[in-house]
Amino acid sequence: MFYRRHLYHLVLLAPLLVINTVFAEVNDARARYHYQMFCQGCHTPDGSGANAVPALKDRMGLFLTSQRGREFLVRVPGSATSKLTSAELAEVLNWCLLNFAGTSLPSSGYEPYTEEEVDRLRQDPLQEIIQHRASVITEIAAQSSQGAQHE
Amino acid sequence: MTAFFDRLFEKQARNLAQTSSRRGILKKLGGVLVGASAVPLLPVARAEPGAGPRKPVEQGSDTDCDYWRYCAIDGFLCSCCGGSANTCPPGTEMSPVTWIGTCHNPADGRNYVISYNDCCGKSTCGACLCQRDEGDRPPYRPDKTNDINWCLGTSSASYHCSTAVVVGVAFDD
Repeated sequence: MFYRRHLYHLVLLAPLLVINTVFAEVNDARARYHYQMFCQGCHTPDGSGANAVPALKDRMGLFLTSQRGREFLVRVPGSATSKLTSAELAEVLNWCLLNFAGTSLPSSGYEPYTEEEVDRLRQDPLQEIIQHRASVITEIAAQSSQGAQHE
Repeated sequence: MTAFFDRLFEKQARNLAQTSSRRGILKKLGGVLVGASAVPLLPVARAEPGAGPRKPVEQGSDTDCDYWRYCAIDGFLCSCCGGSANTCPPGTEMSPVTWIGTCHNPADGRNYVISYNDCCGKSTCGACLCQRDEGDRPPYRPDKTNDINWCLGTSSASYHCSTAVVVGVAFDD
């Protein structure tokens, strides 16, 4: 009876706990402004991208399934060399994941970026971006086909 | 007839008393109250209409280079070329890739995020050349320079004229 009563409350409050964890670090108005000022010009208002500009929408979450992919989102020059502080960059990346990644997010969940992680990774901006990105995507595709074989 | 109702209500009251506890109702009521108190905290849009980003107060003509939205523009004003500050002239295509800055609107005292989308696909318009360049940066800061051709992502790279679209309100740190 004791457990049932508490389970009932837990079920009611669970969404709140999840929301607090994910949104705690993201100020929506500030992150949106930074996205508009430093990302939207190329990635477009809804993250769709255009021609050679890669889409964030329904794509960027795939990069979180590999460590090199996770690092790529920070080390890509638009992120690493932007005028944003590391705290602001972590926030805008988390905001993009919440607003654009959609179904591409790992089904097992993900860790939001922290200021410390972003600060460390952006010290090493990518040079050969296109080749690096292609190799990361190949790695992620190989991982997911391995995963499919195991299932 | 009265006796029938008496028996009916007595039976139902006894059934209820036997199958439920007095604390049970407290438990359920408590659960509902706690649950209901959590509802207003859920992330739904609770703002009153109009409390969000307001539309800028407009003052001045968009065919005039001094118009507030053109603070960082460098090009021909689409409003003099058959379009407007928000739209491209017929026969041209708005570039989805653009450069973005902020302008101060003296009419309402707020700073707005402005997207300078170029209109592409025809030769240069030639009317109302306007170069104000506030906040323009050298090309080593490519996202903040207006010296490059922003007809990127369009089927044609021919520059015709520039718009100045309000896309948001600047965040005040």
